[in-house]
Amino acid sequence: MRSKFDEQLEYLNVELIKMGALCEEAISSAIKALLDDDREMSRKARDTDREIDQKERDIEALCLKLLLQQQPVARDLRVISSALKMISDMERIGDQAADIAEITSFIIGSNAQGRIHLRDMALAAINMVTESIDSFVKKDMALAEHVIQADDVVDALFLKVKTELISLIQNDNGGTETYLDLLMIAKYLERIGDHATNIAEWVLFSITGKHAES
Amino acid sequence: MTKKIFYGIFVASVLTFAACLVLILGVLYNYFDKQLIEDLHTQGHMIAAAVETGSGACLEELGTLDNRLTWVGPDGEVLYDNQADSSAMENHLDREEIAEAMESGQGESERYSETLSQKTVYYAIRLADNSVIRLADTRSTVWNLLFGMIQPLLMILTIAIILSAVLASRISKSIVRPINAINLEAPDVEGNYDEISPLLLKINRQNEQIKHQMEELRRQREEFRLITENMSEGFLVIDRKTELLSYNSAALRLLGSGPVEGTPSVLMLNRSESFRQAVETALAGEHCEHSMTLDGSIYHVIANPVSRDGETAGAVIVILDCTERELRDQMRREFTSNVSHELKTPLTSIYGVSEMIAGGIVKPEDIPSFARNIHAESGRLITLIEDIIKLSQLDENLVPSDPVPVDLFETAASVVKRLRSQADARGIQMELTGGSAIVHGIPNLLDEMIYNLCDNAIKYNKDGGRVRISVENGEHPTVTVSDTGIGIPREHQPRVFERFYRADKSHSKKIGGTGLGLSIVKHAAAYHGAAVSLESTEGEGTTVTVRF
Repeated sequence: MRSKFDEQLEYLNVELIKMGALCEEAISSAIKALLDDDREMSRKARDTDREIDQKERDIEALCLKLLLQQQPVARDLRVISSALKMISDMERIGDQAADIAEITSFIIGSNAQGRIHLRDMALAAINMVTESIDSFVKKDMALAEHVIQADDVVDALFLKVKTELISLIQNDNGGTETYLDLLMIAKYLERIGDHATNIAEWVLFSITGKHAES
Repeated sequence: MTKKIFYGIFVASVLTFAACLVLILGVLYNYFDKQLIEDLHTQGHMIAAAVETGSGACLEELGTLDNRLTWVGPDGEVLYDNQADSSAMENHLDREEIAEAMESGQGESERYSETLSQKTVYYAIRLADNSVIRLADTRSTVWNLLFGMIQPLLMILTIAIILSAVLASRISKSIVRPINAINLEAPDVEGNYDEISPLLLKINRQNEQIKHQMEELRRQREEFRLITENMSEGFLVIDRKTELLSYNSAALRLLGSGPVEGTPSVLMLNRSESFRQAVETALAGEHCEHSMTLDGSIYHVIANPVSRDGETAGAVIVILDCTERELRDQMRREFTSNVSHELKTPLTSIYGVSEMIAGGIVKPEDIPSFARNIHAESGRLITLIEDIIKLSQLDENLVPSDPVPVDLFETAASVVKRLRSQADARGIQMELTGGSAIVHGIPNLLDEMIYNLCDNAIKYNKDGGRVRISVENGEHPTVTVSDTGIGIPREHQPRVFERFYRADKSHSKKIGGTGLGLSIVKHAAAYHGAAVSLESTEGEGTTVTVRF
């Protein structure tokens, strides 16, 4: 027979998975909106972000309740405290997805996004988020480390996109506003990569008790 | 149990022993007491006799006596006391024992002396001159005697306690040993205590029952496992907290999850939106069906709530892989739209040309060329419709004639003859090698098959290229058609056998053809149980092998 505490921990785990899944959904909707000019997806990304915010509050309350009532120690304490940290990263990912979706609605109709490496960058960022959530779900340290390394790829892509945009702005004065919007999107994607890295680090922390030096 | 028996025996023996000791001491006390009084009596009589014969003088000699000796005169005055100064003593006439002795010749009494805080026993004898000799002895002598015995007694007691402890431990162990030795899996009812044999019998019976039930359970589980494992559909049972209770390997495969340990949440296997929704809807108590796309495959998720006592206790989820069905549906839709498109193109051209002629805006001398146009387009239509009819016949297995022996080499030769002019027009050489190979089949289908292959090899060849047809006999007769043509790019190779599929869409108008040729080849080969394989390098040529 399992104790109530174990049950609550399991519930926390499930809620975190759900929140992670919501994050994946939000960002993939936002990217779809960006790459396929889909207004419906842009709206969906913002709806999902609201859901993520709600989930964050719920999980936060649950974590605090567990900390206060059960006074966990050792591993359980690590799991709960890293959950608390992870949800704030997830929430930021949701926010950034919503921001991307919002900017997207301004640039729909321009085809500039196809001309730069934004698609690669978006796919890399989505992949990082998916893998970081996966590493949490499967408690897979190797995967978490892979996510941390993948951040360099996204960072490199950001620099590439930036240079591409600079040359686009130099050659075409008409679309400067769009290009700046695209730069913002690229920055958001880069931030999403950072948050995914954070999540992966917290996964490592909850397993090993050591937080990666960053 | 051993402990309890040990304590039981030990305490009982120690208690018995202690009780015996107390009783013995009581008896001894009585005996000593009596002895004391008797001694007092004997001494008293002897002293009395001595005093009567030898008057008071001998008393001095008796002064060394252990017991207290007092000589009291008839008036009660103390004449002599061997332990106290007689002159200082008060009149003793009122002492109980002396009064009694005065009266009856001898007297006895017991008094508790406050001063000495011990009991004293007195014995008095009246002498002939009415004086009284009194002897006194303290009871403490009895106790002294007893105390003197206590030490050896205690030693005996200690030895007895140790002895009884050892014995008790041995006895208790020997009592318990057979009980401990019982093999609970298969207790031996005969060789044990009668008292526990009913228990053992019952254990035996229950063991049997448990074994039987376990076997039954195992069998049922095995059956269930066999059924679920052999399902190609994924099958999951979850509880209210989304924890996985039961699953089959197909479910894990379809959800793209590795092996699981323990009872994880089903959301660990997959957390895609539609799957999550299906789980949540089912746990909310409603039937739910969803389509889910995962890694390019299309799954159908059916989730049903399981209710117990009017409450949703969990859910059963079935996952069907309907990728193929969806793809077939898609192909059918594409086919319909392709057919209509292919049919419409020549018809439009016929319609346009004939309208112009009917409108009289065509010069009479141009009419033959327009008519040729109409003729060519309608010819194309007829070919197309013939191909479609052939395909649908193959689809429905409605091939009219019975299989007869067909020589593949002869068929190939006739095909080469028919295509010769077409090949010559483009300067393409045709070579036929190999020898006769007989298969059982439908002649016109096989002819159609080889014709289509050769036709393609010519159509998609470079001018001045070569087509090599070889027919080989053996256990599996094979027909190989290779060309030195444009080849098929790798990404198109899996799809060229699909209806209306063209590797290069821009070429189709120039080259002609219906896009059904290879599809007919595939179906005809399948009808004859032959395998078609295709090898192609872009720019170098294509080799198609049909192996019967």
